[in-house]
Amino acid sequence: MTRSVPTLVFRISLGVLMAVLVGALFRLQVVKGSYYKNVAESNFVRIRRIVATRGEIYDCKYRPIVTNVPSHNLYLTSGKIADTGKLAEFLAANFGIKPEDLRKEVFQQRFKTYEEILLADNIPYETVLALSERLNEFPELSFRTGTTRSYAYPNHFTGYVGRIDEKEYQQFAAEDYSLNAYIGKTGLERYYEVLLRGRDGKEFIQVDAQGKSLELFKDNISVAPLNGLSLVLSIDNDLQSYANEVFPAGRKGCVIVTDIQTGGILAYLSKPDYDPNVFMQKISPETWEALNSKEKPLLDRIIHATYPPGSVFKPIIGSKGLETGVIDRNTRLSPCVGGLRIGNRFFRCWSHIGHGSLSIVDAHRFSCDVFFYDLINRMNLDAVFQHVKACGLVDRTGIDLPNERDGFFPDTAYYRNVRHIKSALNGYKANLGIGQGEVLCTPLQINTFYAAVARDGLWIEPHLLVSTMGRSRISRDEVQPLQKHRLPWSKNTMQVIHDAIWAVTNAPGGTARAINVPGTTTFGKTGSAENYMGKMTHAWFTGYIVTDKPEIVVTVFMENAGGGGGVCAPVANKIFNYYMGNIERIKAPATIPPQLRTPGEAATPTETPPPETNQATPAPETPTQDPPQ
Amino acid sequence: MINRKKFDFALAAYLIILIVMGCVAIYSATTTTIGDYIHTENNWWKQIIFAAVSLGCAFLLLRLPMPIFELIVLPAFVLNLLLLIAVLFTPAVNGSHRWFSLGGLNYQPSESAKILTILMVARVISKQHLTEVRQIFYGLGITLVPILLILIEPDFGTTLVFFFSLLAMLVAAEVPLVYILLLISPVISIVSSLWWVAIVVWILLLLFLLLRAKLSWIAVSITGAINVFLALIMPVFWNGLKNYQQDRVLSFIDPMRDPLGAGYQIIQSKIAVGSGAIIGKGWLQGTQKNMNFLPEHHTDFIFSVIGEEFGFLGSLLLLFVFILFFQRLATAVGELKIKERKIAAAGILAYLMFQTFINVGMNIGLVPATGIPLPFISYGGSNLLINTLAVGVVLKYLNERGFMI
Repeated sequence: MTRSVPTLVFRISLGVLMAVLVGALFRLQVVKGSYYKNVAESNFVRIRRIVATRGEIYDCKYRPIVTNVPSHNLYLTSGKIADTGKLAEFLAANFGIKPEDLRKEVFQQRFKTYEEILLADNIPYETVLALSERLNEFPELSFRTGTTRSYAYPNHFTGYVGRIDEKEYQQFAAEDYSLNAYIGKTGLERYYEVLLRGRDGKEFIQVDAQGKSLELFKDNISVAPLNGLSLVLSIDNDLQSYANEVFPAGRKGCVIVTDIQTGGILAYLSKPDYDPNVFMQKISPETWEALNSKEKPLLDRIIHATYPPGSVFKPIIGSKGLETGVIDRNTRLSPCVGGLRIGNRFFRCWSHIGHGSLSIVDAHRFSCDVFFYDLINRMNLDAVFQHVKACGLVDRTGIDLPNERDGFFPDTAYYRNVRHIKSALNGYKANLGIGQGEVLCTPLQINTFYAAVARDGLWIEPHLLVSTMGRSRISRDEVQPLQKHRLPWSKNTMQVIHDAIWAVTNAPGGTARAINVPGTTTFGKTGSAENYMGKMTHAWFTGYIVTDKPEIVVTVFMENAGGGGGVCAPVANKIFNYYMGNIERIKAPATIPPQLRTPGEAATPTETPPPETNQATPAPETPTQDPPQ
Repeated sequence: MINRKKFDFALAAYLIILIVMGCVAIYSATTTTIGDYIHTENNWWKQIIFAAVSLGCAFLLLRLPMPIFELIVLPAFVLNLLLLIAVLFTPAVNGSHRWFSLGGLNYQPSESAKILTILMVARVISKQHLTEVRQIFYGLGITLVPILLILIEPDFGTTLVFFFSLLAMLVAAEVPLVYILLLISPVISIVSSLWWVAIVVWILLLLFLLLRAKLSWIAVSITGAINVFLALIMPVFWNGLKNYQQDRVLSFIDPMRDPLGAGYQIIQSKIAVGSGAIIGKGWLQGTQKNMNFLPEHHTDFIFSVIGEEFGFLGSLLLLFVFILFFQRLATAVGELKIKERKIAAAGILAYLMFQTFINVGMNIGLVPATGIPLPFISYGGSNLLINTLAVGVVLKYLNERGFMI
């Protein structure tokens, strides 16, 4: 062996470093070994998540729509399982959890065996009492209180929450969801998940089996949770429930009431509906069957379905005629003799007797089909397509709800490339002129269009959210700017269309004379659209009322219910009259309840929220879960 | 070209024993027992495949003719530097750009940079007729390039390894120890600035040692001034930091300040190792391991599993094998007569020894958590390959002994 300075230095360094390690190991394992053995046996030294309270949802008067209610939950710590067979038996007998499901849950969380798995939620209190005693045999199980969601009434806009699934967990890996987390699955719960959720806190747990602090760290440092923001909607619970009341029982369809001034939706009713609360528990097979019946109660008919609009579409074609100069206010087109011959086909008007030769206003009043058969055939289809698109009837409206559908209006390319039609398009165009054929709209698109007409042509994105509440107040415009644009109309066109839809509800022979709202000027249009779903036509009515300024626009739609003037207009009339009868109450500003006030905010009722001053300092919040027992 | 008489079987044997111990520990670390349900991830046989590949590569390295080996060091080093630049443009994983991912295999260019930098530095500072000062500056210059690139990633822990190997190589190059003292004196000045008494004692001691070594007055006064300045400026600099920046530095030095972050891992590791006590809980029986309090404990925290399951005796056994292994390497440094190879072997010894110390120290709460794996034991293919090749280089040098002298 060679002796040299370098080797000596290395040997000494090696000796010193290893001596340090051996010494430290001796201290840790031999001297303090039994202490750490105790700590290890307590199994409680870990980081615990403090779940943030999810934001609630309120109507425009701060009345609850979605609230948090306490619930009893059962948790499993898989790392403490002693006897899988016995546990599986116990869970199957008392909670109906199948052994294979248990195995799956445990396998999924095999890298986090110390973290609790939420096995069952919303357990009845009696069950908790009855089983508490038996839980002593299973140290891996524990009951704790958490929260669950309560939905005030059946509806299609709140949506509901559910346990995060594996796909969502992967997708939002960066967002720090726990495997036990609830996440918005549909509706507003999903659309505003980011606002509602908040951020979980965490704390370091250092207690032994007796609950005494182990004092591994000097301080009990924790990160407080940031609770979710509550949402205030434009929905008015009174109006919503009144709409629900007057909607004919057993019919399928929807009602949309929109505040013309703001574009906020006051009532959002799709029938048949379902109770989101059923998703908060294990769904029984009967409930599941009912939810998936052919009535489709889960379907939101306002934005998730498209229908032929029928005659409510006529003002769009009419306005294009006026804009291109094909017609003016007094132009009379081909006379209606109960129909119109186009090529070798006879296109019927709904009236067998015929309306004679009409101007645009009267064509709307009587809803004459022939006028529009003739009008659209005097125009270029692609120009009409552009016009329909600019009126907001092709693209989805952008309402703050997920999975909204687009409408559809064909252009020449569609007929040539998709349908492979070589012949003239006159017949197809005729049908489009009366809102039939390939054209499809969601009821919300129709409602939004008529609101724009009421605003003298200003189109505003429909929306439900007004502002957030609680930790900080953010208005809808700050969350996501509202889209606005003007309809491509001149003042003159606007005036003619106003006159036309005024005639529908007011002039003798108008199709919607059922509308009678004292103290207001009424406007509207009926529709009865033929469809492949059944023999009866789809019934439409959409219209609005104006006092000293435009108030609300109401759209009523019923699947296969017959004529719009007969079945839909009366429902709309009741809603208009209810609104006018309660207008002071509906418009009165509400006092913000204390629990929704932003820190430092006065209790005075305010219509427009004061500017936010202390967003940066969230209120101190208390943990929402009890520590493990 | 493997000379049986000269081949160092002992060193190779220690290497294989360490790898086998690693596989045993990895098998246990990736096994989860829940009731009667036992699940083992497939990492352990992956590691066996990695080991076979690594040993195969080391074997090929031994067969490689020496001239070719010497020829490829420079191009490989340059290529590695380019890779260190390229890796900065990869998407960040946990906030840092360290890995290339190629079909499930991850490669860290900073791993191969360790061994290539050592070979490069050894080549340059072993040149004839270099003054000590030049040796130091050339060594520093070559080492700083990869260090700066790795700091950008950022990966602070890895850069420390480079410094320690550089020091060891300068020692092996027989640069007088007083120069090495000069080199590390700023670090000591910064540390001693925590307490004014320490500053005074340290500066006096430094001046005394420098004068004893008969350095010129100018050199001594410059060094003294720089160190005094550093010691005095540190508190000013420290107070200039924002609160959260101070917190970050303090938490790095003392992880126990941060129970929800680094401190959590250290305390869980300490509980695991401590609860192993003298004889341990037995293979596959670790309760702390089984609760998975530490994520990914088959990599950086593998020692916590060994400590828990095999206790003080098992830990000692592992450290004993490491000591034999490093002793053998230290002997090799003495036995190698060609200066370049001697210096390279010293660098390799220091780099493996430093990593072992830091990793075990981290597992028992002695040093900050830096993300340095335990050589030959921690799970990970590229790490095992580079470490094995490093030993392969020493084996190759030993095997070539006596050809030139």
